[in-house]
Amino acid sequence: MTTVTLRNLRKKFDDVVAVDGIDLDVEDGEFLVIVGPSGCGKSTTLRLLAGLESATDGRIEMDGRDVTAVEPKDRNVAMVFQNYALYPHMTGRRNITFGMKSSGDFGDEEIERRVAEAADTLDIADLLDRKPEAMSGGERQRVALGRAIVRDPDAFLMDEPLSNLDAKLRIEMRAELARLHSTLGTTTVYVTHDQTEAMTLGERVVVMNDGGIMQVDEPQRLYDFPANRFVAEFIGDPAMNMIPVDVEDGRAVHDAFEIPLPLADAGDPVAADRNGVGEESLDDGRRAVLGVRPEDFRLPDPRTDDGLPRIDATVNVREPLGDSLLLHCSIGDASCNVQAAPRTDVGAGETVSVTYDPARLHLFDAETGEAFYHSEAHVSEAERPVPASVE
Amino acid sequence: MPALLQYAKRGVDALRRDRSTETVRGASPGTHLQLWVLVLAVVFPVAVAVIVSTKETGVVTSLGDLLPGSYAVENYREALVDYRFGRFMWNSLAMSLVIVVGKLVVSVFAAMAVVYYRIPYKDLVFLFILFTLLLPVPVRFVPLFQLMNDLGWSNTILAITVPYVASATTVFILRQHFLSIPASIVETAKLDGVGPLRFMLFVLLPMSKGVLVGVSIIMFVYAWNQYLWPLIIIDSEANQVAQVGLQLLQGDVQGGQLSWSLVMAGSTLTLLPPLLLMIVFRKPLLKTFNIQQK
Repeated sequence: MTTVTLRNLRKKFDDVVAVDGIDLDVEDGEFLVIVGPSGCGKSTTLRLLAGLESATDGRIEMDGRDVTAVEPKDRNVAMVFQNYALYPHMTGRRNITFGMKSSGDFGDEEIERRVAEAADTLDIADLLDRKPEAMSGGERQRVALGRAIVRDPDAFLMDEPLSNLDAKLRIEMRAELARLHSTLGTTTVYVTHDQTEAMTLGERVVVMNDGGIMQVDEPQRLYDFPANRFVAEFIGDPAMNMIPVDVEDGRAVHDAFEIPLPLADAGDPVAADRNGVGEESLDDGRRAVLGVRPEDFRLPDPRTDDGLPRIDATVNVREPLGDSLLLHCSIGDASCNVQAAPRTDVGAGETVSVTYDPARLHLFDAETGEAFYHSEAHVSEAERPVPASVE
Repeated sequence: MPALLQYAKRGVDALRRDRSTETVRGASPGTHLQLWVLVLAVVFPVAVAVIVSTKETGVVTSLGDLLPGSYAVENYREALVDYRFGRFMWNSLAMSLVIVVGKLVVSVFAAMAVVYYRIPYKDLVFLFILFTLLLPVPVRFVPLFQLMNDLGWSNTILAITVPYVASATTVFILRQHFLSIPASIVETAKLDGVGPLRFMLFVLLPMSKGVLVGVSIIMFVYAWNQYLWPLIIIDSEANQVAQVGLQLLQGDVQGGQLSWSLVMAGSTLTLLPPLLLMIVFRKPLLKTFNIQQK
């Protein structure tokens, strides 16, 4: 069982800094997902872990052992690649056993036994005698997984393993991977650009951008308490709305609206603990960006009064998504997306009255983009309004 | 010339279309006519050689002389047995095989080094390898001749093979192919602890089979057609190669008895080995040229 520790890890390619001094602890048996846009350094981080790239600076430890300069083969990690990396001229079985036979650490009987086990776990017994060209994408990836698990490595490193599969297969394989991890319990570092994969698979998720770590957290906390604008906008689809506001007298003030910012009693330990952003500062006149997710806006039932302010929004485009209706609106000079009930009768050009969930407001510093306020920490369950929307 | 290329291109396109019924109209009789003219233009000299090799004297003065004669068996027997042309063919074959194998070994290692190893100034090294292409072989003949004499290799198979075992072209083609193999395959092997030799034998070479066969054919034809260098360095008749040996089939030239039919029989014989190889291995050969285009 293995813990992985990165300390001030840096990788420079000529003039480009791919990984910029990151610190990260992967716990024993954890499924950790690294997610980020293209070029954020997530794959480079994984390759540094595998030893396929050498670090410019910093340390990589596995179980406390410094492996920064250790050869890939001596790190006892198995990697699964996006393009499967199966040897095209070898059968499934030979693909799985080739590496084991090369290392010379395993006897023939041991290899046989392990292949049978892996084939059983992954349900690939009938693929063992086929060559990759006679397998589908999902089957190839299963054989590639088989090759990774037979060696019983200390850690699995997966580099976008599902990206080449079609949508349906990807969802199946996602579940398969989750099942595999719960069976084997091997420490896994998984790189993806797909936030859905990150949220569904990861016990913890690392969000990276520009070679740095933006936030490391459990998926739901990442969604509820994003540490900065980047995480807030990257996680969640459709993305969080960002509206520039001024903070005045405990309110977020925009030309088109003013909304009160709930604040728990000062010194409430629960609030400070849940918030994760440390000391709150709703100083008057502070320039900020208000973040509201599209699903946290709602079209209220005009017959009820929940006491919340109403904001006038002009609908520009309506996008029926089946399970919901996405309205691209303008609120004053700000544009924002509102997720409404699927069959809401609203057309483009109409002005609607929108309200919001007061427990789901986020404020980010206008300059640094760091979050400094999440209203959820300040609103008790009892205070939250019952969602009501116009059907 | 561009017009000719256009014709050829159209012809090839027409042939391609021929396979699908939908566009079969594209292959008009005109296109076929053009193609036949082109094919005949290429085949004509070879056909003449084959026909002449069946004649008694082989002197062509009229169109009527271009009908096959009845001396085929006699001419070929005379060339192979009396003039020991079989011996020359055998020498050529040995030379070509040694060159092909030697080139393959050297080039595979060189390309592997250039592609998979971190060498200081690697690009410069590769550029230097390519640079040798700019130096025509005949330029090296004088110093090479001296060197072969100093080594005592004159008149041996070493003299006509060793100078040819390094090939920039082959290194280049193999390098391009190795680069087209996904990096993740190499990295998987690295993570599995597959050593370089094992990687070469069990991964790289099997994955390069087509290209290796393709370049082997090209190299074989190139080696088989060596003329100038064997002419210079080999002066014993027993060790001579077929291309030079053709000249010995001329017979009593001084006496005005130049036997064209024998020369053409020899020429036809020298054509056969490369032709057979090309027919048998035409598929990998075409694939290799595809890779070069990438």
